[in-house]
Amino acid sequence: MKQALMIAWREMRHEWLASLCFVAALAGGLAPLLVVLSLKNGVIEAMVDRLVEDPANRELIAVGAGRHDAAFFELLRQRPDVAFAMPATRSINAQANALRNSAGRETARAVTLIGSGEGDPLLAGAAPFVAPGGVVLSETLAKALQLQAGGQVEILIARDIDGRQEAARADLEVLGVLPAVRYPRAALFLALPDLLAVEMFRDDPAITPADWRSPRAEPDSYASFRLYARRLEDLTPLAAALRAQGVETRPRAQNAELLLGFRDTLGLLYALIAALAVAGFWAAMAANLRAMVARQRVAFSLLSLIGMANRRRRLVPMLQSLILVMAGIVLTLALVLGLDLAVNRLFESTTGETVARLRLCDIGVTLLLGIVTAVTAALWAVRAIDRIGAEDVLREG
Amino acid sequence: MTGRVLQVRNLGIRLSPEFAVVIDRLDLEPGEVRVFDSASGTGKSTALGLIGAAIPGGGMPGESLRLCGRAVTGGAVDRAHCAPPDVLGFVLQTARLVPFLTLGENIALPMRLTGLAPDPDWSRHVLDRLGIADLLGRRPDQVSVGQRQRAAVARALWARPRLLLLDEPVSALDPANTAAVEALIAELAAAAGAAVLLASHKAAEGAFGGAPRCRHRLVIDREGVQVSLFTGQEAA
Repeated sequence: MKQALMIAWREMRHEWLASLCFVAALAGGLAPLLVVLSLKNGVIEAMVDRLVEDPANRELIAVGAGRHDAAFFELLRQRPDVAFAMPATRSINAQANALRNSAGRETARAVTLIGSGEGDPLLAGAAPFVAPGGVVLSETLAKALQLQAGGQVEILIARDIDGRQEAARADLEVLGVLPAVRYPRAALFLALPDLLAVEMFRDDPAITPADWRSPRAEPDSYASFRLYARRLEDLTPLAAALRAQGVETRPRAQNAELLLGFRDTLGLLYALIAALAVAGFWAAMAANLRAMVARQRVAFSLLSLIGMANRRRRLVPMLQSLILVMAGIVLTLALVLGLDLAVNRLFESTTGETVARLRLCDIGVTLLLGIVTAVTAALWAVRAIDRIGAEDVLREG
Repeated sequence: MTGRVLQVRNLGIRLSPEFAVVIDRLDLEPGEVRVFDSASGTGKSTALGLIGAAIPGGGMPGESLRLCGRAVTGGAVDRAHCAPPDVLGFVLQTARLVPFLTLGENIALPMRLTGLAPDPDWSRHVLDRLGIADLLGRRPDQVSVGQRQRAAVARALWARPRLLLLDEPVSALDPANTAAVEALIAELAAAAGAAVLLASHKAAEGAFGGAPRCRHRLVIDREGVQVSLFTGQEAA
């Protein structure tokens, strides 16, 4: 082994330019591959995950108005593929005529009202859940009203009864602000009883602006609902199950399946590109080692003549292959890890997250693949050595 | 060390359907010198290759090759075991050295490969006599043809082999070097106590001029094959 290693090393040193070129070529092929892997691990997967995890993409929107009773909602909540289900009013009533910062003059008109409650996926982890009298503002709305958590917002609901204009008002406590990444438009999240109060005030002339928020009995049925599937994959079967019950829905994210497919395909796509690159590199390595044996045919014959056993001669291209590949991988890792570090530093301030990341297991797999490639690529050269006998150097004279 | 160094019986190989090289009988005792001096193209190098187990025997009837009493099966795979450097040294026509190793590494390599330790006194003597002690750190492409051949001679003699095979060892050298190198080989081989088998078509002129010749004949066998036949008896 020691003598084979010495011979392998000396041959490479003698042909240092060819060896260096090969290591550089390997790094040139492998580095972009690992950079892509770094980006896939970092920014690309984070982006795809964000899209997949975005609860808005898991929403099924009711088409038209229906009559959904308590049993319907109970059944929905019991389904394992349902993450969140709650009643909602007709969309025409789910709007406030105006909202005003109770402590200032800032006003927003025709603001969407979204009934919410405990467990609402849009709020979960990003803002507190709403309760009667307490609301959450979307970031856009909060900016427009110059409001933040702890403030008060005045809601104004108008109605027209036989040509007579009436308006109901109430001060609601701002419990929190929902970041724009969760809900980009202006909206007010409020508890179901508050939303119902809005609907009832508009529908029932008996309710006056003075008592419009007094507690009232729940209606027998609701016109609409808010429904979120547990996972993106659950959207299609859940919609099908509802359709079977005569309830039409449509997914908010029309491209949800495409997104899922992309996430699943991303890994496969990378594996395919990596496999192609490894195959190309394998062929280059095998040819390079085979050429080395051809170049040193007389030397290998001489080594046999002076007593080097064949099993030792076989080790020469094998060791060269391992040394070259490992040198190439180490050089590549130094380049890629340095590049990752630089890229992450550069984007740290803007994105606040890791853009490029090479995991320890990626490095381990790269080294393992390198060893397998090195050993198998050397087999052609080893076979060539087997065919070089001590007599070859005698024929050469 | 005593005992017969080489015993060959009917060792040969068919190089083509029409031509074969055979050594029918050749015995060498320690220190004995024999010369193959047949014309070019008669298979002298092949005969040395067969005896040095570099060329596997063709399986002639009664074929036998014994080096220092040990039966040699022949073939490249068995060479390391059958013909270690303290048994056999080989000097080729053109100084064949491993191009990417220094002269020192080339010279020491056969013993290193077999785990043998060189005798420092003998090593120094060989290097001094061949005049290459100062060139050990150079690679073959950094020295002259004559110096390369001297290194090849040193490599062959480094382990004091029992048998030294010389295949036209000075034919590539200039006339000024030829006599000197051949004289050094003869001197060092004698000092090592090695039996010598020399293949050369100019042997009569050099240091081995007085050595006995092997008999050589070209014969046609029963199958019509031309056989270049070497016999280890002094030519008449």
